[in-house]
Amino acid sequence: MKSNRKRSVRFRRRSISLLVLALLVVVPVISQEWLVPADRQGRLSTFAFNDSIEKAGLQLYNLNCLSCHGNPGKGNYQQLIPPPGDPATEKIQRNRDGEIFFKIMEGRGQMPSFKNTLSSGDIWAIVAYIRSFNSGYVQTVMPEITSGAYPGALIAITLRLAAEKESVIMKVSAIRDNTSVPVVGAGVKLFVKRTFGLLPLDEEKITDDNGMATFGIPPDLRGDTTGNIRVSARFTDEEKFGTAAKDTVLQAGLKVIPVSLVKDRAMWNTLRKAPWWILLSYGLGVILVWGFIIVVMLKLRDIFIIGEFTEKENKREA
Amino acid sequence: MNAETKIPGLETEKIDRIASDILRPVRINKVFIIWTAFLFIALAVCLYVYTIQLRKGLIITGIRDFTSWGMYIANFVFFVATSLVGMLISCVLGLIGFKWITPLSRIAEIIAVAFAAIAGLVIISDMGRPDRLPYVFLHARVQSPILWDVTVVTTYFVLSLLLWFFPLIPDIAVAKTRLKGRPAFLIRIYEILSFKWVHHAEQYKILRQAVKILILLIIPTALAIHTVTSWLFAVNPRAGWDSTIFGPYFVSGAFVSGTSALIIAMYFFRTNYRLKDYITDFHFERLARLLFLVSAVYLYFNLNEYLVPAYKMKKFDAVHIHELFTGDYALLFWVTQTMGLILPLILLLFKRIRRPLPMLIIALFMFAAAWLKRYIIVVPPQGHPYLPIQYVPEEWMVYRPTLMESAITLASFLLVLIIITLLSKFFPVIPIVETAHEEKENEIK
Repeated sequence: MKSNRKRSVRFRRRSISLLVLALLVVVPVISQEWLVPADRQGRLSTFAFNDSIEKAGLQLYNLNCLSCHGNPGKGNYQQLIPPPGDPATEKIQRNRDGEIFFKIMEGRGQMPSFKNTLSSGDIWAIVAYIRSFNSGYVQTVMPEITSGAYPGALIAITLRLAAEKESVIMKVSAIRDNTSVPVVGAGVKLFVKRTFGLLPLDEEKITDDNGMATFGIPPDLRGDTTGNIRVSARFTDEEKFGTAAKDTVLQAGLKVIPVSLVKDRAMWNTLRKAPWWILLSYGLGVILVWGFIIVVMLKLRDIFIIGEFTEKENKREA
Repeated sequence: MNAETKIPGLETEKIDRIASDILRPVRINKVFIIWTAFLFIALAVCLYVYTIQLRKGLIITGIRDFTSWGMYIANFVFFVATSLVGMLISCVLGLIGFKWITPLSRIAEIIAVAFAAIAGLVIISDMGRPDRLPYVFLHARVQSPILWDVTVVTTYFVLSLLLWFFPLIPDIAVAKTRLKGRPAFLIRIYEILSFKWVHHAEQYKILRQAVKILILLIIPTALAIHTVTSWLFAVNPRAGWDSTIFGPYFVSGAFVSGTSALIIAMYFFRTNYRLKDYITDFHFERLARLLFLVSAVYLYFNLNEYLVPAYKMKKFDAVHIHELFTGDYALLFWVTQTMGLILPLILLLFKRIRRPLPMLIIALFMFAAAWLKRYIIVVPPQGHPYLPIQYVPEEWMVYRPTLMESAITLASFLLVLIIITLLSKFFPVIPIVETAHEEKENEIK
């Protein structure tokens, strides 16, 4: 055994050593300062952080960040290379809001990009949650929802379902001083919120002269039990039109009544819900074999009785 | 106690002579005391190491995130495999009608009992929290091969113990009147275990029935125990374990390790217990042929197991195959395959090799190779999972057995040796009555 141990020490995997070598080269590159483009650093949340937003951020954090970063303040993040770090520490807190937002949005190396998984509102909620661990933090909110193309105007997006439910019609308008003008030529996208992220619906569209765009709905799009889907509309070029977004519920999907995977008997279910065939073959097999084992053991008694009887007979004869 | 009851169809002188030969080692002598003392002291040292594992957990082993089944599980597979020899000798060859297995069958059963009994303990040594063992039964899932494994290993152990004990009853009855000078406790045990055997024809009839039932039960159970053990691996999609022939591959490998264990034990009893008249060169010759047969079958399965994936070289299989053929496990792999399988197969073709001492050497090599082969089957496939965690320390990825887990593994071997020592020291290791019957049959011929 000892020789075996020595042997396996000697047989370290060459690929592993190569990987380590590769790591030695890659790690310094990755652990260099993560620079956020200057024009993105100053980005601010459009809404003020409060308790309910922090709470929403906590839930989003637990779903998307906890597995690597651990609980903020506890330092129980994964031992990865480079280390993900604890968001409550100074290293992360010294980032500006826009920097944290950018890093969550874009990701780098092992840190995934969340731009197709979380909406910008979601990401801001996570930023709010992370900031709740920084007692010295004072939030600066973006003054008002403005856009470069329509200065000073409030951008409004409306979504409605076409009569035949085959498409979603989006209308974008800019409102200022009680007058509304259509936003023309803006790139817009429509997403369906799914459990693990956003599903793009149709392609990117450009609003027409009426500020409208039409997104086709695939006929097999699955909704909830009532056929509802949660959609989210936003601009492709958020820098130009602002972060205005529209989240709403449309009855555009198929009615899907989910079947629990642990409802019926299955291999992956508990013992009580194991498939009949496996319960029977295991049970009958055990009963059969152990039944015979008991039969065989009882034969010892027969042997003993015969022996005792014969001994008595012999004694009487003697 | 009555005077010796006469055994129907056998002369008392013949029984006297055979019994005195076979019962000669059944005594407590200096060598036995030194040997058992050595075993128990070594065991105590290893068990001390186990208490360290109990305190600190599996961190003292080389088991980490990538390789969660290390030496312990390889050792478990080896133990289950070796215990299969009981089924091969007493049941398969016995049912076919080979008479020459008579003096070997009990040794084979002792090996089966010892290895099957300890196999369960080996599994417990792989548990970080052995106190949770009852959960295996309390929260049993009949869908999991682990439950089947626990079930069949227990069943096989009980069956092997019964198959060892039942044919022993007449011998115990013969021996209990011939144990003058032995410790009183031993005579008392013999009295109890003889179950008032008086060599009555009816008792023989019951015994034959019981043994027949046991033999018929053991064959499927033994096949099940090692097939299920192979399924612990083969139901995984992991490259290197994802194989449809793992069942027969494991069973055929089990016959190789079991037969070599039997040869080693035979050689030991023949020389140390002075049983050259009963375990003869002829028996070694026969077992050499048996070993050749089972090894050839095993080689055939090896060809299938390695050549077919190596021909296709599917993406993940290729990583595994390269690792074994030319990678870091290459030396271990090729030494095991040549020294433990191919070379013995060639050597066994020569009559001069099929003699006790050369057979002992070959068996020792094959026995060691059988252990290493289980290591090769269990450990390397875990080094390259389909979805590896990335950027983790090298220690998490590469399995290196530690000295401590080697000591705990050694403990399992010591326990096997203790069981074999006690069973073979306190009870006749060769069937007395059966041997007498056989001798008589040969005389008539």
